[in-house]
Amino acid sequence: MNLQVIGCSHHHSSVSVREKLAFTEDQVRSFLDKYHQSFPKSEAVLLATCNRTEFYAAGKSADGVPSSQQMIEFLADNRGLKTGDISNNLFAHQDRAAIAHLFSVAASLDSMVVGEAQILSQVKQAYQIAVDTGQQIPLTHLVFQTAMKVAKRVASETDIHTTRVSVPSVAVNVLTKQIFERLQDKRILILGAGKMAEETLTYIAATGGKDIVVTNRTRRRAEGLAEKFNGQIADWNDLDKQLIDADLIVSTTGATEPVVTHEQFKLVAQKRQEKTLLILDLAIPRDFDSKIGDYESVYLYTLDDLQKECEKNRQSRQSQWPKAQRIVEQETANFFQDVHRRNSGSTIALLKKQANNVKNSELERLLGRLDRLTPEQESEIEQSFHRLVNKLLHPPLKSINADQNSEAGGLLDAMKRLFQLGD
Amino acid sequence: MEWLQKISITCFAASYLVVFGIELSRVFFQLDLRRYVRIGLTAAGLFAHTVFLAYHTQLSFNSQGIWLGSWFGWCLSGAWVLAAAYLWLSLRKPHSMIGMFLLPVVLLLVWFGQSFTGSAPFSPGRAKTVWNMVHGSSLLLGTVVVALGFVFGIMYLIQSRRLKQKRSGSFRLPSLEWLNTWAERTLFGSTLFLCGGFASGVALKMVQQSSISESANSVAGAGSIPWSDPVIWTSAVLFLWLLLATIVSVFYKPARRGRKVAYVVTISFLFLLLELVIVWQVGHGTDPQAFNTPRAAWRLNPNTAESISAHPINGKRQGPSRRLVVPPKPAARFSLRTGLRSIGLKPVLQTNGGNS
Repeated sequence: MNLQVIGCSHHHSSVSVREKLAFTEDQVRSFLDKYHQSFPKSEAVLLATCNRTEFYAAGKSADGVPSSQQMIEFLADNRGLKTGDISNNLFAHQDRAAIAHLFSVAASLDSMVVGEAQILSQVKQAYQIAVDTGQQIPLTHLVFQTAMKVAKRVASETDIHTTRVSVPSVAVNVLTKQIFERLQDKRILILGAGKMAEETLTYIAATGGKDIVVTNRTRRRAEGLAEKFNGQIADWNDLDKQLIDADLIVSTTGATEPVVTHEQFKLVAQKRQEKTLLILDLAIPRDFDSKIGDYESVYLYTLDDLQKECEKNRQSRQSQWPKAQRIVEQETANFFQDVHRRNSGSTIALLKKQANNVKNSELERLLGRLDRLTPEQESEIEQSFHRLVNKLLHPPLKSINADQNSEAGGLLDAMKRLFQLGD
Repeated sequence: MEWLQKISITCFAASYLVVFGIELSRVFFQLDLRRYVRIGLTAAGLFAHTVFLAYHTQLSFNSQGIWLGSWFGWCLSGAWVLAAAYLWLSLRKPHSMIGMFLLPVVLLLVWFGQSFTGSAPFSPGRAKTVWNMVHGSSLLLGTVVVALGFVFGIMYLIQSRRLKQKRSGSFRLPSLEWLNTWAERTLFGSTLFLCGGFASGVALKMVQQSSISESANSVAGAGSIPWSDPVIWTSAVLFLWLLLATIVSVFYKPARRGRKVAYVVTISFLFLLLELVIVWQVGHGTDPQAFNTPRAAWRLNPNTAESISAHPINGKRQGPSRRLVVPPKPAARFSLRTGLRSIGLKPVLQTNGGNS
């Protein structure tokens, strides 16, 4: 098997380069169609996400698969770029390194946020698009199916996916779950309508939060956010009333002074009747007076508090990293052994077939020349030929079988060339 | 069915102890397999516990006609309900370390139970009445629910403190909302059960006094509540405390929110402990004539009229064969023998005076 991958990711390439090499789904389909016209003897998959564009090409023999340079040229040409503009920003891997890279990507070990689950679905989607092009892709099928299996193994055998590292995900998936059993019946108040508010709401909605109220000084922005998450809009002047009813508050305004002061909250607290309140103050400068956190029923978390949790989770992930890496290395080795075993099986079959053909033709010729042989004598000669072939083939077959556990496959290639065995 | 006799307290106590150890290990490292081992061992322990209780309850019933024959049976039954609750909670909240708080209570009850193996059984005559059945089972369930509430309350206070201090901690607990809900439910439940226990206890006492008065041809004191009895007044205080806490939390929202419920259920548990100590000290529910002290269990089988001390120490006796009752040891062992003893059955040492 020959596998090549070239591409760019957040590790090696700037956003400007990644933008130039970005693909929409339709563009990926069109790219693969053109590829199959140019390189009909090989298979291809294009993985395009916001953080990476990776171009995989595979083939049974090296002559059918484009070289790294050819792939870079094809990619640059497709994007209307000069090869020199992008070649310094791209990485290239071959065979074992390419397989190990794909496994790492699928297992989310190469992601910007290590352990994020989205990448696996993106890998699946890239593979599905390659299938949809209608081309035969047996090698790609094998490689990508294994990659998905590896990703699942890493997810189940390590905790790399369970710990959250972004502030909104930690806030919603870790912190709220320690206070609230469910978010479905909770009033969620969002102060501000910026990117942080939107990202946090995405996690809240995914966790089941439904009763969402958005309030912002600029009503128009609040409307956009509320509409996106089927929430309600509240007037900024009704803030106190909203504070009384809320169970969870996410505050992300760009205000330079606290939006809710201690004095203001005193009145709110009286009316809340000690109902538990979680405040996620994700704004800088802070929107809530820190004294508000002194109320027994109020849990006030600022960006700094959550950053600490994120950092702890990052460290936790780091501790899981070697374990995940070992799984990827193990699976890469297993993959090549498996491929080699399949190849050696077919080579052995070809070798036996070729030897039997020679034996049968020579036996036929000999028996034609010898007259008056009794059936017993004919059988004896046949068995003698059979034994001769078996004894001749035994040492090379034994060596091939012994070589099955190595992933190099050098002996197999030598055998094919030596006995002139086709694919 | 001989295998039933082989199940001892050690079987299930050891299971719970190992599960407790596994729970503690969750603080230090993670292992997926541990969950299944923990649940499996709890289920196995609970099974052994069930068989043990069923067998000994049957023995108790056959001999005395009562179900939970003594404090021994009472404590082990309470431990069984709590262990079952732990198994259910482990399945519902697999990631939370509830066992770290609940299993010590289970193990303490088992330990109390085994240390009561030599104590007096409940009075058989009294125990057979309906009032006594209601009284005993209500108090048992009330105790269990209060203990559960205490566990939830403690967990709430720890979780709340951790969140206030912005520390995630090395072990996971259920959410504050869940703990608050269950602490509140246990408060209501314990009030209900202890109300039943107290009311049936008072009724029982009144019926008992009434019958004593009738037999003495006197009406003085008949039907009145003996408030001087420490069991009565401490039970009344505990019941009033729970009733008050329940009424306040029903009609005043802030009282059932946050740490208040946790404090209430914790205080209730301490009240209950005090109550149980008093109940045990005064020998409530037991037959004082049969066993005045644990050492009073040194006695002859009722079939024989003589005391061992009346005979020569060398054991050479004259006359017919007699049965000697082996007294329970002060520090009872975890065994079927001590279990039998605790529920009023007397393991006997057969001697034959004529042949010795």
